[in-house]
Amino acid sequence: MKKTLLVTTAALLATGSLADVNIGNPMGMTGPIPDLVAPMAAAVDLAAKNINDQGGMFADGQALNVVRADSACDPAAAIDAVTKLINVNGVTAIVGPVCSGPAIAQAESVSIPAGVLTISVSASSPALTMMEDGTDLVFRTTASDAYQGVALAELAMANDITDIAVSYANDDYNAAISEVFVQAYEGMGGTITANEAHEPNKASYRSEVATLGNTSENLALFSYYGSGGITLMRNALETSAFTNFIGADGMLSDELIEQIGAENLTNATFTTAASDSSTPPYAAWKAIADEAGVPASDPFVPNSYDAMFMMALAIEAAGSDDREGLSEHLRAISSAPGELIYPGQWAEAKAILAAGGDINYEGGAGNQDFDKNGDVAGNFSKSVIVNGAWAAELIQ
Amino acid sequence: MWDAFGFEFVNFYLIPGLVLGCIYALGAIGITLTFSILRFANFAHGEIMMSGAYLSWTVMAIAGYAGLTLHPLVAMVPAALLVILLFLGTDKFFYKPFRNSETIKVVMASFGMMLIIRSAVQVIWGPNQLTFVRGIAKPNPVLSDLSSDLGMMLIIPNKHLFIFAGTIIIVIALSYLLNQTRIGKAMRAVSDSPDLAHVTGIDVDKVIRATWIVGGICATAAGVFLVMDVQMLETTMGFRMLLPMFAAAILGGIGKPYGAVFGGLVIGLAEELSAYPWIGDAPLLSPGYKTGVAFAIMVVMLIVRPQGLFKGRSF
Repeated sequence: MKKTLLVTTAALLATGSLADVNIGNPMGMTGPIPDLVAPMAAAVDLAAKNINDQGGMFADGQALNVVRADSACDPAAAIDAVTKLINVNGVTAIVGPVCSGPAIAQAESVSIPAGVLTISVSASSPALTMMEDGTDLVFRTTASDAYQGVALAELAMANDITDIAVSYANDDYNAAISEVFVQAYEGMGGTITANEAHEPNKASYRSEVATLGNTSENLALFSYYGSGGITLMRNALETSAFTNFIGADGMLSDELIEQIGAENLTNATFTTAASDSSTPPYAAWKAIADEAGVPASDPFVPNSYDAMFMMALAIEAAGSDDREGLSEHLRAISSAPGELIYPGQWAEAKAILAAGGDINYEGGAGNQDFDKNGDVAGNFSKSVIVNGAWAAELIQ
Repeated sequence: MWDAFGFEFVNFYLIPGLVLGCIYALGAIGITLTFSILRFANFAHGEIMMSGAYLSWTVMAIAGYAGLTLHPLVAMVPAALLVILLFLGTDKFFYKPFRNSETIKVVMASFGMMLIIRSAVQVIWGPNQLTFVRGIAKPNPVLSDLSSDLGMMLIIPNKHLFIFAGTIIIVIALSYLLNQTRIGKAMRAVSDSPDLAHVTGIDVDKVIRATWIVGGICATAAGVFLVMDVQMLETTMGFRMLLPMFAAAILGGIGKPYGAVFGGLVIGLAEELSAYPWIGDAPLLSPGYKTGVAFAIMVVMLIVRPQGLFKGRSF
């Protein structure tokens, strides 16, 4: 009896905002990478604002609400957050979560069983590619690390690094990208001198860097800056175990400069998913981002905008906020054929869809054409410190 | 005997293990005292450590505005006072009402306190990491010169020397308190049997306050030493230390402060030394499983000798 009552109350709460379209947005607002996530969340809000300013959803101009939750870059927290979004808030779809571990966990145990479409904005683990099991419910707007690991290996080769030690944090994202890197690097003729996992969030990594430091001057570090990456790098510098560092986007943060000091990081290069800033959609994105004060070229920020914008387009094309069949519409609005739509052009897209036409969204982060696994191709950049700040350069 | 092998072992495994052990030890003292005198596992202890570190950071920042550069060990003093107030306040409002009910209630209350304190810190200081000391720590030059003249190269940064010295001073002060003073003896009496202690005229409430004060000082010291070592503040850092500290307290024997110190050092050393290449060139145990070592020790201890190494209470 009590349970029925609870369910009814939950249903009532969910239907309280019936006139609006609700999209759940679990983001790692706390946890190991809050610095990276804050501008991403701002980009999601900006997409919703653009949509609401240009006529809102459907013919009657319903408001698009972003229901934010904290996934803390932690699988357990993400499952809690998404369960609440789906069951209590009754959201139509999920945009987020940010880290690969939580994205996989929430998809496997919550959103896929509930039949809810997810677009992750920054989960780049190769493990995400094959996990949907034919349901076609998990998409992402950032390229898989299967590509970034290769880009990083090419970068190491280009910098004449012929032997390297690998240290990766024991989680879904970092373990997967390090595996791709090791394979690609060895395939190109490089030597991996040691390859060890490290446990995130330890107070000291001196023994780890000592063991690895015996084997090579160079370290490939796969870690989140906020859960041990900075400490590991500091320990490596303190003990002079390594001189050169390369790594992926988990480490690319101003926090690293702030804490370790630019003068100590002259030999560090990190790659990240990047946008080709010469394309017309990027120019359209940069214009609206600059106007709103959102950092247009920060990691995953255009990807976040694209994810939210495309999700709204898919719901608009579906004509209702039902959860079913959304992925078909998502594929339709994001790929050819159709009129090209760039970031911010909600009113145009809405008019074409209302007239029964086709659209093809191209975003700031790339063309966002999903393959059969819901993955996109992407570009990468490498960042080194110039004048005390990270300077990114697109890898061709 | 002092070759490259010994150099690496001492500087990169033994000393970091001892540093970690000191931090675990100080935290475990508070846990073991609360466990024996108040008879519950205080889950909020890690967050208290963390808030102590944040308060010290704030004291240093305020002094920085006034043009003063405070050493963390100095900033620790006002921070410890605030932490003691926090401890006494939580005891008064959250733990005392449950003192005569089942233990599980007060354990849950402490679990709630843990979440409340962490959220409050996130609200006040934000969820982002804060820099405690910028840059990288160079080894103490005097010590490395002196030791290399003697044929062994010790590379220990100043922060570690402060941590060792601070821990030794606190443990000596604690042993004086427990063995030589009236309140210390009363604490030990309450730990052995609260009812008997009450009958002999010991003021149990006063003993409980003293427990929180001692625990608060040790927790603040542990928190500050931790941030001195990692040089940054983060809101979940206390929680991450909590379980190894419990392992240390259980290893040493519940209610035995010396046991907690010993247990802390053993857990800290075991975590670091398990990654040493004892056999061949590869680490004995992949460093990814370091944390598991602490719990393996704890589980084996609970099965083989539940009262702990120093014959504490068994449950």
